[in-house]
Amino acid sequence: MNSYYLINLLIYAAVDAMACLGLSQQFGVAGVTNFGFIIFQAAGGYTAAILALPADSANGAFQSYLGGWNLPFPIPWIGAAVVGGLIALPFTFLVGRRLRGDFAAVGLLVTAVLLNLLATNYRPLLNGDAGLSLIPQPLAGEYNPQSAGYQWALTAVAVAACAAVYLLVRRITESPYGRSLRAMRDNDTVADSLGKNLLSLRTTMLVVGGAIAGLSGGILISYITTWSPAAWGYAETVVLFAAVIIGGAGNHRGAILGAILVPVGFEEVTRYIPTSNSLPPNLIPSLQWVAIGLLIVSFLWVRPQGILPERKRVIRAEPLRPAATPAPAAPDSTGQAEAATASAVPRPAAPPPGEAVSPAGTLGSVSTAAAAVGGVRSADVPGTGQQAPGDREVVLQAVDVVREFGGVRAVAGVSLSVRRGTLTGLIGPNGAGKSTLLAMLAGTLPVSAGQIRYQGKDVTGLPAYRRARLGLIRTFQLASEFKKLTVMENLLSAVPRNCGDSLRGALAGPRYWRGDEEAAAARAAALLERFGLEAHASSYAGDLSGGQRRMVEIMRALMAEPLVLLLDEPMAGVHPALARKIGGELVALAAGGLTVLMVEHELAIMDEFCDPVVAMAEGAVLAQGTMSELRRRSDVVEAYLVG
Amino acid sequence: MTVFLASVGFGLVTASVLAIAAVGFTLQFAVTDVLNLAYGAVMIAGAFLAYVLNSHGVNIWIGLVVAVAACAAGSVLLNACVYAPFQRRGAAPITMVIVSLGMTLIIEFGVQAAAGGTSVSYRMSQGPSVTADGFTLTAVQFVVIGLSLLVMAGTYTLLRYTRLGKAMRATAANRMLARNCGIRTGRVITATWAISGGLCGLAGVVFAMDAGSFDATSTDLFLVLILAATFLGGPGQAYGAMLGAVIIGLATEVSAAYITPSYKYVIAFVALLVMLGVRPTGLLGKAAG
Repeated sequence: MNSYYLINLLIYAAVDAMACLGLSQQFGVAGVTNFGFIIFQAAGGYTAAILALPADSANGAFQSYLGGWNLPFPIPWIGAAVVGGLIALPFTFLVGRRLRGDFAAVGLLVTAVLLNLLATNYRPLLNGDAGLSLIPQPLAGEYNPQSAGYQWALTAVAVAACAAVYLLVRRITESPYGRSLRAMRDNDTVADSLGKNLLSLRTTMLVVGGAIAGLSGGILISYITTWSPAAWGYAETVVLFAAVIIGGAGNHRGAILGAILVPVGFEEVTRYIPTSNSLPPNLIPSLQWVAIGLLIVSFLWVRPQGILPERKRVIRAEPLRPAATPAPAAPDSTGQAEAATASAVPRPAAPPPGEAVSPAGTLGSVSTAAAAVGGVRSADVPGTGQQAPGDREVVLQAVDVVREFGGVRAVAGVSLSVRRGTLTGLIGPNGAGKSTLLAMLAGTLPVSAGQIRYQGKDVTGLPAYRRARLGLIRTFQLASEFKKLTVMENLLSAVPRNCGDSLRGALAGPRYWRGDEEAAAARAAALLERFGLEAHASSYAGDLSGGQRRMVEIMRALMAEPLVLLLDEPMAGVHPALARKIGGELVALAAGGLTVLMVEHELAIMDEFCDPVVAMAEGAVLAQGTMSELRRRSDVVEAYLVG
Repeated sequence: MTVFLASVGFGLVTASVLAIAAVGFTLQFAVTDVLNLAYGAVMIAGAFLAYVLNSHGVNIWIGLVVAVAACAAGSVLLNACVYAPFQRRGAAPITMVIVSLGMTLIIEFGVQAAAGGTSVSYRMSQGPSVTADGFTLTAVQFVVIGLSLLVMAGTYTLLRYTRLGKAMRATAANRMLARNCGIRTGRVITATWAISGGLCGLAGVVFAMDAGSFDATSTDLFLVLILAATFLGGPGQAYGAMLGAVIIGLATEVSAAYITPSYKYVIAFVALLVMLGVRPTGLLGKAAG
């Protein structure tokens, strides 16, 4: 086989694989559908070109361009990656929380079309339609770029760069940070409510993917020595999408496979189609595009997970056990699940966390872990259990809160105070505005008017993820598990302050974050055992029954170390016996200082666990009191009957 | 002044073509929930169908009618064979957009494979033209503007006064609720694909008339204008799309008179990005909450 042919094949494979890895990280892992991906490769190509080229008066000034700094290798490649990353920043306004993913994708697609048009028509900047050519190859002064040795060395560097990119994206994806990205991909509203900063996550993905694409463009032009708008039409992005979808979105090896099958494979196959003068000139390239379109649509239909599906991440963990620490001697007020509750729920009577010495060592003492389940930040609140609910400190407050949906007032001026350590119920007929109120308290929905106060501070302007980080955690009325994460991963995704849950932490590697990860996994395992779901730890959450998914959601909220827990119909679809168990757990946690506001239709649950209970109807608070008091109020009964 | 008036004339024609296309696109999105990026490809397929008939000696206006019918039927088929099955399976909106991008390649380059890569134009007379101080419109351009006004009036009548239009609005607002109220949403959606597909074919042929010469990829950039008009008016808002089309059509052509014509799309592009970033619900929509 001709070695130049092989070199050509390998360099294209490496460059396409790098691009696909960048796209796989953005689209497959983080769910950022970047239809303008090719812009970033183009930017890298142009940057490397104008950094390496001499001033445009050279060669008789037959091409005109910006720059022309004649810089030595490897500066052009570094510049390509840096510029590829930096030009992602202007796009961040498209990928924030507010804009639908498909609209943002359309915005990026249109940007790619338009930038190509501009680059084609505006000559002074990058030589317009004709593009740049005669781009000096790396170290061309020292070595002969035409020699086989040089070409092989360039190939080796390209393949090595591709391998490095693979290791980089794998390190990011397999870290706690990568889990946050996948959680965002599966359900961004829920990730937001668990303290994930969507804008920051998506921006980082655009920058990282952009830098990878830029580098791939820089390497490509070092080989082909030309770069023009024809090389980066918007449709090239679609080819890369086809590669990632066919290879397997979310699986980086699949991205490499897809790169070899689609862009490289297509180029090679058409090489063997006999050219004939009887065929129309554009027939083969046109049919190539048709085939790519067909591949995308048919793969999405027949095998949407791709050839190599995203693999399941099984995390094994030993549950935290109170082996060496005597269980607190406080009487078990709920009378059920005695050993487990006693071990994992802090009591007013429990010894101070610092004094408990446990053999668990680096995993933290049992008491702190137990306190974490029930809200570690409430451990310094003394004796809430002894006070009557009405005397306790107000921790969460709505002041004259209004929410309008196109003229309809779903919540019409509600004021509500939730006191620390209580289990406050929220009842009312359908359409009373309960879920809307909950969403406004958590920040998922902005208020139309009014104020939300949390721990004495005005948090009305704080986005949901910032409130979540302060310990104000909500659950959702509709199923909201991260479907393509295992149950264990769902629980771990909510853990705050995991040092691997940032790009820097992810890049520092598993050795840096393993300690946090194992401690969190042990806590999650203990929680799973308490709720009896340990057998499902490694099942995809999307495969569970409705009731089990609600449990996952509650456990996930507990893993977020809440101070205040807002539960939207947590018992809906849950077996009654299990519902009572959840209620018992919540009462125990409330005794430890956790505050719960719970929307629930099952009045028996309210009777048994909630005090006080707030009744809402038609967007307003009707009454507040114990459930038995509310039953005596005719307006409340009527609202329920009429509503 | 002369240049300005001439560009306003062009702008009116572009706005008319754009309005037909954008109303179809936005209705399709509102009722069927598919952000159908293959819309531009279907347009050009209709334009080419009319061209084939025209080049065999058929009058272009007959070709136009055939293209409208064919695009209506084609869009119904496109939905029944591709989009609806994906939606029934619960595909995410973003998956639908990727599917529609795949369909764009299939249709657009299918047309190119059949027609070759060269530009073509219709054989037709432009008719007598009216000139007033630089403002020039040919008879054909008047017809295009007239057709567009007819489409606007028809859309208004459809949405406001007919059972089908009301059912379409109900389905757009809340498909589940509409179905529970006894509206046969399946039929409404099929009817919407037929109507919007017909508008798409009409837009394709008048676009090709207006452009003079066209090839299979000509609507790539026109789709940018459609999207800009749609998002300016708020996605799914028929009247918003009309307003957006007038603004974008006039803005692109008037700006083209003063800057290089190849940059005229930049205004539409900027408008689209600003709307996406600042007010994704459109000029007529509610402020983003």
